[in-house]
This record gives sequence, C-alpha cells and structure tokens, in this order.
Amino acid sequence: MIANAAWIPGAVVTGLAIGTPWSAAVLLMAWRQNARIVGFMAALVSAAASALLLLAAPAGESLYEALMLLFSCLTAGAALMIPKRDCDSRTIGGILFLLGATLLVYSSENLLVFLVGWILSAIPFFIRSWFRATSWRPATALLLSILALALAIGIIFRSGHAFSMDSLQGRSPGGTVAFGLLVVAVIFRKGICPAHAWVADAAEGGPAIPTALLLNGHFGALLVARLILPLFPSTAGNFFPVLSWLAIATALYVAIRGLTENSPRRLLAFLALSQSACILAGLESRTSEGITGALVHWFVVTVSTMGLFGVLRLLEVRFGENLTASRHLGLAEHAPRLAVFFAVFGLALVGLPGTLSFCSQDLLIHGTLMSHPVTGIVVPIATAMNAVTIFRLFARLFLGRRRTGFTHMADALPRERWILAAGVLFVVLGGLFPNALVALQSTQAEVVIPLCLRASHSRPTTNPFTTDLRLSGFDGRHADVPDHAESSRSFLLHWWIQRSWRDARA
Amino acid sequence: MSLPQAALVFVVMAPGGVFGLLALLWLFGWVPSERVLSRITGMAFAACVFLLAALLWTLAATGASSVSVTFGNWFAVHEYRFPLVLIVDRLSLPFVGMTIVLSGLIGQFSATYLHRERGFFRFFLLLHLFAFGSLLAFAAGAFDLLVAGWELVGITSVLLIAFFDQRPPPVENSLRVFAVYRACDIGLLVGVFAMHHWAGNASFANGMPLITRAQATVVCIFLLVAAAGKAAQIPFSGWLPRAMEGPTPSSAIFYGAISIHAGAYLLLRAQPLLAHAPVASVCVIVIGIVTAIYGTITGRACADAKTSLAFASLTQVGVVFVEIGFGWRSIAVAHILGHAFVRTLQFLRAPSMLHDYHRMHSAIGGEVSPTGKHLEDLLSDRTQQWLYRWVLDRGHLDTILDRWFLYPLLQLSRLFAKLDGVGRSAGAKRRLDSSISMRSPAEQGVE
Repeated sequence: MIANAAWIPGAVVTGLAIGTPWSAAVLLMAWRQNARIVGFMAALVSAAASALLLLAAPAGESLYEALMLLFSCLTAGAALMIPKRDCDSRTIGGILFLLGATLLVYSSENLLVFLVGWILSAIPFFIRSWFRATSWRPATALLLSILALALAIGIIFRSGHAFSMDSLQGRSPGGTVAFGLLVVAVIFRKGICPAHAWVADAAEGGPAIPTALLLNGHFGALLVARLILPLFPSTAGNFFPVLSWLAIATALYVAIRGLTENSPRRLLAFLALSQSACILAGLESRTSEGITGALVHWFVVTVSTMGLFGVLRLLEVRFGENLTASRHLGLAEHAPRLAVFFAVFGLALVGLPGTLSFCSQDLLIHGTLMSHPVTGIVVPIATAMNAVTIFRLFARLFLGRRRTGFTHMADALPRERWILAAGVLFVVLGGLFPNALVALQSTQAEVVIPLCLRASHSRPTTNPFTTDLRLSGFDGRHADVPDHAESSRSFLLHWWIQRSWRDARA
Repeated sequence: MSLPQAALVFVVMAPGGVFGLLALLWLFGWVPSERVLSRITGMAFAACVFLLAALLWTLAATGASSVSVTFGNWFAVHEYRFPLVLIVDRLSLPFVGMTIVLSGLIGQFSATYLHRERGFFRFFLLLHLFAFGSLLAFAAGAFDLLVAGWELVGITSVLLIAFFDQRPPPVENSLRVFAVYRACDIGLLVGVFAMHHWAGNASFANGMPLITRAQATVVCIFLLVAAAGKAAQIPFSGWLPRAMEGPTPSSAIFYGAISIHAGAYLLLRAQPLLAHAPVASVCVIVIGIVTAIYGTITGRACADAKTSLAFASLTQVGVVFVEIGFGWRSIAVAHILGHAFVRTLQFLRAPSMLHDYHRMHSAIGGEVSPTGKHLEDLLSDRTQQWLYRWVLDRGHLDTILDRWFLYPLLQLSRLFAKLDGVGRSAGAKRRLDSSISMRSPAEQGVE
C-alpha cells in the first residue's frame, strides 16, 4: 500500500490538505450558506490527503502525517458536532482557517513556513468578535509566543544562514539565546507554569470547540519534537530538563488547582493542561517507553479533550451556559448518552483500563520514573488528582437530583451521537488493540532517542552524577543517558557541578 | 489452544463480552427488558460455572497444578513488555470460582431485589464489568494485567456506590471512595514499575521476579499501600462505611466478598516476595492487627446493619492480613473463601434482618441473649465513654486524613486560584471567588 502510494507527489497532496480548508474558509466568507456541510467536506478532503501522506511516509517518519490526519478528522468531527447555535459561517470559517494553519505547521520543513503557520493559527484568536474572550491573557500569551519564536528564528537564520530544518539539524544555530527563546515560545504556547492561566481564560471566555482545537494542536510539544531536539541536541542536553521539570510542575500545579475549581470549562482546561504537560515530561524522559507514551498520549489527550469540550458545549446549548460544578445538576436524567460519553472521555483521559490512555499512561509513568525517579512520581500523583477532578465534575454535572427548572431537552442527536461514538471507539479500540499505534509511535521514538542520546553524549561522560547513579543501579535499560536522572540534589547544584566539570576538563 | 485453555479464556472474557455487547446495543438505542437482562446474566454465569467446573475436573484428572494462556504482548516498546497472560493456579482458581459463583448469585438475587428500579440496566451492566475486572485481576499472569483488572474493579465499585444518583450523599461518598482508591493505586503503579526496573518484568507466570531483599521490601511496601487501600485497612478504613450507600447486592459482592479481598489477593500473589521482606511482613501484620481491633470496636457502635457488617468484614480482612504476614497462605485462602460466602449471605439478608429476628424470637420463644457484655465488663465506665466517642467518629480516621492531607491540599488549591486571579478583572475575580468552595454541596445545604 505504501509502495503504491509512493508515486503521489507529496507537495501536491500537502497543498491539497492545507489549501482546501483555506479555500473553503474563503468560500464561506463570501457565500455564508451551508457552513456545516462545507466545513465537513473541506476537513474530509484534508483528512483524505493526510491519509495518503501517512501511507506514503517512510517508517519511523510518519508522526507529523499521523498528526495531520488526526487533526483533520477532529476538525471534520467538530464541524459535524458543533451545535446549530454556533454553526455560522464565521465560526466554521475560523475552524477551517485554523485547520489549514495547523497542517501547515505540521508539514513544514522550513523555519519561515513554520513561523507563518504558527502566526496564522493564532490569528482567529486575536479577532475579538470571533474569539469573544474578555481576558487579555490569551492574546498576550499567543503574541508573546509568536514574538519569541520569531526572534529565535531570526537569530537562528543569522547564525545558521538557512531556514531549512534539515540543513540546521544538530548545529545549535544561535546557541543558548535561540534555544532559550524557543523554550519561552513553548512555555507561552503550551501554557506551562507560570504562563498557564491563559488556557483556562481562553476556555472559559472563548468559543468552546474552536478553543479546544487550538489547544489540541499541541504546538508546544511539536516545537520541542520538531525544532528543539533536532536543532539543539547539545544545548538541549544541558537545559532541557528545566523544561521537563517545569512541565512536571505544571502537571501537579494545575491538578491541584483543579481540585477547587467549579467552572466546568476552566476545569476541563486544567485537565487538558495537566495531561498535556505530561506529554512534555515524557518527551524529555529520553527513554523509549517515555517518548512512545508521550506520543500515544498526545493522541489520547487530543481526542478526549475534544470529546469533553464537545459534550460540555452540547450541554450548554441545552441547559444554559451557567453550568457549574458547585452543585449537583442531575443532567444524566435528561441526557444519559451525553453522560456516558462524558464519563468515557473523562476516564479515558486519566488511564481507564480498556482505553488507549491506559497504555500511554503506563508507558509515560515507566518512562518518567526511569529518568526521574524522584520527580517522576509526580506524574501518577497528578493523574490521580485529575481522575478525582474529572469524576467530581461528572458527578456534579450529571448526578444528583433532577433539576425541574430545565425544560426537557433531547439527548445526543444522531449526528452528535455518531461523532462522539467514533471518538469513543477510537479510545476504546485503541486501548484494546494498542499495538498498531504504539508500534508506530515506538518507531518514531527510536528516531527521536538518538537525538536525545546525542545530547547526552555532548556532556562529560564521567560526570559524578552519572557514576553515582550507575553505581546505584539506575542504568539497565536506560542506555547511557541517566546524567539527568533525578537525584535529591537541586538543579542549580547539578548545573554548577556540570559546568565546573566541563571547565576542569577544558 | 487446548480445552482447559479455551475454558479459561471464556470464563474470563464472557462477562466482558456481555458488558461490551449490552453497552453497544444501548448506544444504538436498545434497552433490554428486565427478564431478558436477567436471563442473559444467568446464562452467561451458568456457562462460566460449567466451564470452570470442567477446567477443575481436567486439572484434577491430569494432575496439573495450573493452566495458562499466553496471547503475547498487549503492547511492547523496546525491552518493555506488557504480557497478556492468563493463569489459573492453586491460588487464583478459588478466587476465580468465588467470583463466578457469587456474581451469578448476585445477578439472580438482584433480578428480584431491583425489580422496576430505574437503574436496573445500569446495575447489571456494571455487575458484568465488575466480574470481568475481578476475573482479569485474579487470572492475570503478571502484575501489569492485574493492574488493569484492579482499576476496573475500582471504577465499577465507585459507580455502584453512586447507584442512587438522585441523592447527593451517595454521589459525594462515591467521590471520596474514588479519591482513596486512586491515591492508593499509585502504590500499585510504582510497585509494578519497581519490579520492571529491577527485575525486567513483573510476571509471576514463571515464578516471581528475582530481586534482592531490599528491593523486595520496597516493592512490598508499595503493594501494601495499594492492598490496604482496596481492603480498607488502617489508615484508609474511612471509606468503607461510606461505600454502604450503594444497593445491598453490590455491597454484598464488593464489600462482603470480592473487592474487599482483592487487597489480600494482591499480597497473597506477592507472598514469595513478602517472604523475603521481613520488614514488609511486619508492616502487614501490624496493619492487620490494628485494623482488626479497630473494626471490631467500631462495628459494635454502628447503628445500621450494613455498616456493622462492613466493619465485621474489616475485622476479618485484618485477620487475613495477619495470616498473610505470617506466611500462612492456605489458612488465609480458606479464611477468605469462608468469610466471603458467609458475609455475602449476611449482607443479602440485611434488608430483612428485623424479619429474621422476629422469626428467630418466635422459634426460641424469647429474645436472644445480648453478646459483648463480657468485653464491656472488663472496661471502666470512663474508658467505655471515651471509646464510644472515639468510635462514633470512626476512630477519627477521616478527620485525621482531612485535617492533615485534604484541607491543606484544598487550601493550596485556593492559594493557586488566587495567584491565577492576579491580573484578572474585578468582575472575573469575584466570579472566581464565588465559584470556589471547599465544602461539598451537601455541606452547603444546596441540595
């Protein structure tokens, strides 16, 4: 099949995947009719093109094609599921614009194109009449991430004299400054502590489904996998653990924060943030298990949070937008199927056996604990807290005494039911037969790990920490990368000793 | 695949298959009638009992000590494997049999007991999922697969506590139980990780992983946390009376028979490791003794039948822990089996306890002589009063957990919320402050 698909000119298909949603968005701006159908068909064409690209991609290099397919399918699903109240040409046009920009970022091999896609994906969220969030934080965070990325790319070009990612690979162009700016871009775009508050603000004030799509682009993790690791292996080796610790801290901070939050949208944003922070921690673990777990979890978080935000929006249009987790609303009596979809997506996000997240969490926990025996424990703790939070939200929204004030409303409509059922099937079938996806991501992990290993090799091999940890038995299947394995010593001490050691060698 | 292996696969998978089928049909809009549902349940468990009997017969005839089925790896990354192995041996066979028999009995009992209850279908759906989770945990050939079954048992337990979902207390109590389960399950996850890390696998199908004494101690301590959480041992006993909010049949099968003994099964499974870890064994014994004493004292002051039965269960499981700690494996298994069946019967008879007492009084021609006087006589009045106050608050266990763990965590969460609110508009901050509450809806008097 892959061989048969190899004749397809990649650029044409990629252009089709990106151009179709943009063309449809322009069409909707002019025509303003049948927005749902146009949106669905355009996303479907993108999905078909992405599927062709996935089939043609060589083994171990298909992550971005898989992500393109996933995001196209999500957008197609969103176009079908979006409530009638929200389904105007502006909203669908914005979603399609976002799809095109996201696919551009996923498929780009050039830094300038990457930057353009990054900026375009944020543009709808700067338009107040479309985004509607009153908080200044989302726009500021997105703007700062754009500025940081633009500056970083400018410095990289000045140092490396090229925009092509392939030609810059492993050269650390721009040194620590460019690396630092890229990390800042990740922090702002992904909502890593202390820049996490904008995500909840965006989810609370913005349109639910488009905001969920924005968050599920996971551009922060993409930047790490696409630019930081390949371009800055040596710098990443020294400073990347800082980002990992920030991600782990974010996972815990946001999980704790969610325990007393009562706004359903903010709660879901915190859950998504906490779980997606685990993706970064897994990527940094530099173990096959951790990286594979992170990549699989990327898919799980994307589908589950989309499903959760979708169900919440469907509830809002039925029962009002003032839903709260501060009291029991008893909505399961009115909408039992939506309740079940919500429960499955919620539990699938936090590692319910039989869903794909059970595998991804298992791998993530093994990977992070292997590379960070002390701080890695935070990942299962944060996941446990998230599980309690999602169950609390489910219990408050759906259980309890039936509210007689609500008019009797329809449960999930067939259109909504089929889309949500497809999401549930993905997480459940993926959980029952995870080998296909895990093997795909495992191959990808084998590609990523050498980059991490290269980063490790650039450091002194007789680092006292390495010796100490190896004597303690923390080598084994962790190859030769445990320099940054967690110890009880502080990071500053660790960093200082490393620098002293390097200076002494010099 | 030989006949015993096929039987084993069917026994484990049948409840899961029924659950999946019923859930899928419900999703398509078909809800079976009570009669159809109870017949499907009866047939499924009857077939399982028959096949399990055939399996037992084959084992006895061939003299084999175990049957195992290997499906390869569920998933594998690099050198990490998640083996998909089912096994029934002398330890797991009694537990598998107990699960099948009791689940079938509870299914038949519930068909009448929950007749015309609005959650009838939900109950049977969750019963099948619970049976599947339990069978998966008991028949797992590796700790990895045991975790999957373990988690399924936990989530079904919680959903059945919230069975009467129109009343807030069961829902809030289910949340509490879920929190305790998830917190303790961290021990299981880390313990299994430690086994993988030190031994390269967590499989016990071909003997236990080879690790040193210190490593075994660490692993066993982590497993003990998980086991204590699931078995409601000290200091996690506070969730057990809250779990009595569920319907009686589910209380019977979960907290009289299977779920409450899952922790003991985990320790029995890890017994070879426990034998190499004297420190962990001592911890098991101490926890068991303290729980048994706590259970028997607290159970005496309970005003309702189900809660006093729950504390009686707790006492027995504490004793089972002591037996496991001393390495008396066969005694522990026999104790569990006997206790599970008797306690299930007691739980199922609990709703008609007054009727039973009246019948008993009629039969013996007077009141039954009260028990426990001998213990009371040994204590001074002051001690009795102090003990009564102590057990009224269930030994202050929940209070201690709340004061030392939950409230600080919630305070921290509120502090984070305030930090997040910095820079927000005044209106948004007001909304934030009013939306954050540490109290449950019941405490706020909302419901």
